[in-house]
Amino acid sequence: MPANPNELANSLADAALEVAAEGAATIAHVRIATHDNRIVSVRDGNVENVGTDSTTGFSVRVVSQGAWGFAATHELTPAGARDAARRALAMAAVSAAVSTDVVSLADEPAYGTASWTMPVVIDPMAVSDDEVIELLMAWNEKVSKSSAVHHVDAHAAMGRDATFFADLNGNRLSQQRFRTSAQLTASHIGEGGFDDMRTCAPPAGRGFEYLQGHGWDWDTELAQIPDLLDQKVKSPSVEAGTWDLVIDPTNLWLTIHESIGHATELDRALGYEANYAGTSFATLDKLGNFKYGSPIMNVTGDRIAEHGLSTVAWDDEGVAAQQWNLITDGILTGYQVDRNIASHVGLDRSNGCAFADSALHVPIQRMPNVSLQPGTEDLSTQDLISGVDRGIYIVGDKSWSIDMQRFNFQFTGQRFFEIKNGEIVGQLKDVVYQSKTPDFWGSMVAIGGPSTYLLGGALNCGKGQPGQVAPVSHGCPSAVFRDINVLNGRKEASA
Amino acid sequence: MSNLSMDQAVEVALELLGTDGGVAVGEVNAVRNLRWANSSLTTNGDTIDNTLSLAAFVPVNDGVASGIVSGQVRNREDIKGLVAAARASARAAGASQDAMDLVAGAQHSNFAAPATQAVDDGLGDIAQQLSEVFSDTSSQYFGYAEYSHDTTYVATSAGTRLRYEQPTARFELCAKSPDRTKSAWSGQSAKTLGDIVVAPHSSRVRAGIAHQANRIDVEPGQHTVTLSPSAFADLMIYLLWTASAREANEGRSVFSNPLGGTRIGERLTQRELTVATDPTLRGLETSDAVINLGASSMSSSFDTGLPITRSEILSSGVLNALASSRYAAHEANLPFTPITDNIEVSDAHGSGSLDDLAARMSDGLLITCLWYIREVDPQSLLLTGLTRDGVYVVRNGEIVGCANNFRFNESPVGMLSRITDAGTAIDCLPREWADWFSRSRVCPVTVDGFNLSTRSDAI
Repeated sequence: MPANPNELANSLADAALEVAAEGAATIAHVRIATHDNRIVSVRDGNVENVGTDSTTGFSVRVVSQGAWGFAATHELTPAGARDAARRALAMAAVSAAVSTDVVSLADEPAYGTASWTMPVVIDPMAVSDDEVIELLMAWNEKVSKSSAVHHVDAHAAMGRDATFFADLNGNRLSQQRFRTSAQLTASHIGEGGFDDMRTCAPPAGRGFEYLQGHGWDWDTELAQIPDLLDQKVKSPSVEAGTWDLVIDPTNLWLTIHESIGHATELDRALGYEANYAGTSFATLDKLGNFKYGSPIMNVTGDRIAEHGLSTVAWDDEGVAAQQWNLITDGILTGYQVDRNIASHVGLDRSNGCAFADSALHVPIQRMPNVSLQPGTEDLSTQDLISGVDRGIYIVGDKSWSIDMQRFNFQFTGQRFFEIKNGEIVGQLKDVVYQSKTPDFWGSMVAIGGPSTYLLGGALNCGKGQPGQVAPVSHGCPSAVFRDINVLNGRKEASA
Repeated sequence: MSNLSMDQAVEVALELLGTDGGVAVGEVNAVRNLRWANSSLTTNGDTIDNTLSLAAFVPVNDGVASGIVSGQVRNREDIKGLVAAARASARAAGASQDAMDLVAGAQHSNFAAPATQAVDDGLGDIAQQLSEVFSDTSSQYFGYAEYSHDTTYVATSAGTRLRYEQPTARFELCAKSPDRTKSAWSGQSAKTLGDIVVAPHSSRVRAGIAHQANRIDVEPGQHTVTLSPSAFADLMIYLLWTASAREANEGRSVFSNPLGGTRIGERLTQRELTVATDPTLRGLETSDAVINLGASSMSSSFDTGLPITRSEILSSGVLNALASSRYAAHEANLPFTPITDNIEVSDAHGSGSLDDLAARMSDGLLITCLWYIREVDPQSLLLTGLTRDGVYVVRNGEIVGCANNFRFNESPVGMLSRITDAGTAIDCLPREWADWFSRSRVCPVTVDGFNLSTRSDAI
């Protein structure tokens, strides 16, 4: 179901919108979405799971008596569509009785009938299971040859979303996007315990060609994994204290996600997520005056980045994709909003951040691609390392946690290279870095150039009740942070 | 489902799977929810859905292969498509390591009964009760109420025919002072929204806000703390999720014995503490048979239909069992231990409420909620996370004020040996894991030397 506007999608939309209009809905949005996913996992040279799933849903969201009402169904019939519209109106009636906020949406032009497809070379859902399995088995074999490697786990995940949006303003918007990801983890078990090393390739808005080497050098990284693991196992445990950090984009994307991405969601700052995901220290009164970080810090939000996991043509409220500033020269200058939040705070237009992970869930404000812009001077990562006397170069993400106002965070990583006098001298292990968001970004003293820029990201960003997951990308260069608190993870356990 | 009921759909799926066999699981789901913020209802939802999932078993040269597929079905053609896809995936996968003969499981007499479509109508009552809560302008209120009803049909080619109904309700209420310097939370899981009364929750969060009038700065460090049932549940659920026989036997788990094998039989705490899952736990009942599609260390499609009984991972303080599929149990030479979707954590000598326990602690911190719990080091099962919505300072057995929040770095396994007191287990809603795990009966505990690693300024 339906990759493009077709007779069925339009007939279902017409049926539901007619009921909504008859029910005095001032706003009515219809969404039909099909989500296809595939997972293949391999463990120690044996295929563990090969599977696909596909869900299609139909939903109606109305504003009636000033309140939202949402209903959804798997029934793709005119009767099912009409029933969903009636149930949405009923939910709005329940809500209107206890709501004090009147819902209004910021204006957005109508785009009529239009469609968009994310450009990929190979539809990841169209390749055979055999091709994916063959690839993962080859990776497994390559890495498992090393005596340092005792177990290998690898998996690939791919997805395709086909969505259709219709409203009372005449929009009939169809779009299709894709995502592909894979990870391999090698584990070592020895007398001193166990440890592991994982690939750092991020998920991407790409097709199967990504796993064949377009956009990531898998061969080189996989060849390095056994030695990196062996070195890590033999490396000394980090000395807790204050260190300078050079953070690679494969790690920094996640810190951006947690400490900037979620913190600049205006619905959070206004309290809409307070019971669950939390709020934000970056409250509206700080817009335009709050020093978020050092003057070399420039962060944008966008839904247009090439290969971005949050890239679309229109959001789930029919708003066209845009790019805008969130942090400019270290100052908070923007937020992520949907149409209701935009109207609520007096903005002329939404920046297109409404998203639902399926037609069975209501759209809420979700994160666009949020990216730290590279410096104007094209400094390499090696240039940055050269400027550090005593520090740690951190590569790859692992553990993450941040508080409910996005202040106190703690992250680990995959690889920690000790820097002495501007040179890498070997690996460290048990490194955990912890800071407070404005302090951390305020300590950013150098930033890499465009040649260090990488689009990282995640498939599993969680938010909302009922819970929803969203794929999102974060681009960034390497960067240097001065005097960051580093804990020893092993010692923390026995503190 | 346009032409077929779900019980018919799983039968058609088995018919199409043919003599090679497999497993079919049909789920019919209805959910209604309300959400509120700043003392006003915000979003809501009324959703109905169905899904048919299949594990197709296909003989291959060196064994039996398995392929998994899931999708919505509206007619026989849809099911044909799913079966073909699952069989193709199985052929591509090759022989499954965990392949074993399916068992002839139970046959429920109500298997062909229609799925329950009508959902509990308690949502309107909750909204009405909330209007009274919102009339209090001394605080702002935030929260969520949900009722879901799942009807699950399980059929295997070995004759198993199971039908389960799982109603689940959940209610959460958070209060914040208008200046956002104080925050308190109360939550409850139940079978229906009709089982939930809002007033006790509003009283609880108002009391929490009142306690926070006196703010006391407390430095990070190792503190004696009393963990609420919700907070302790969040830690013990993570322990349960990582209590895998296979990983322990392979030497890559906190439950691995450094000399080889597992730590089963080792005393982890001097307390008579028991951590169990039990499908018959009164009021928190779950399905009493394995329902699984896919392979992992703890589960296998080939185990579907096998009975689940009470399993004690920790029994009177001793590591007693580790979760496994049949194949993983065979690999580790341990008893097959399937676990279900609830947790009971009790102490044989535990008594009293959270308040009683805090009073007995005399001096320390009372932690109501934990949040953003993530694994830092699997070797020790070091977890990090935050305290949230009320860390109360207890002096001479009385709450005298509220501390700042903290980031903790603590192992739920390591801390077991530092538990010094426990209360009576009660039904509670885990603050962190409630989206996935809401059926919890857990005691509050007092722990010495709990590692509150750094300060969090979040409210």
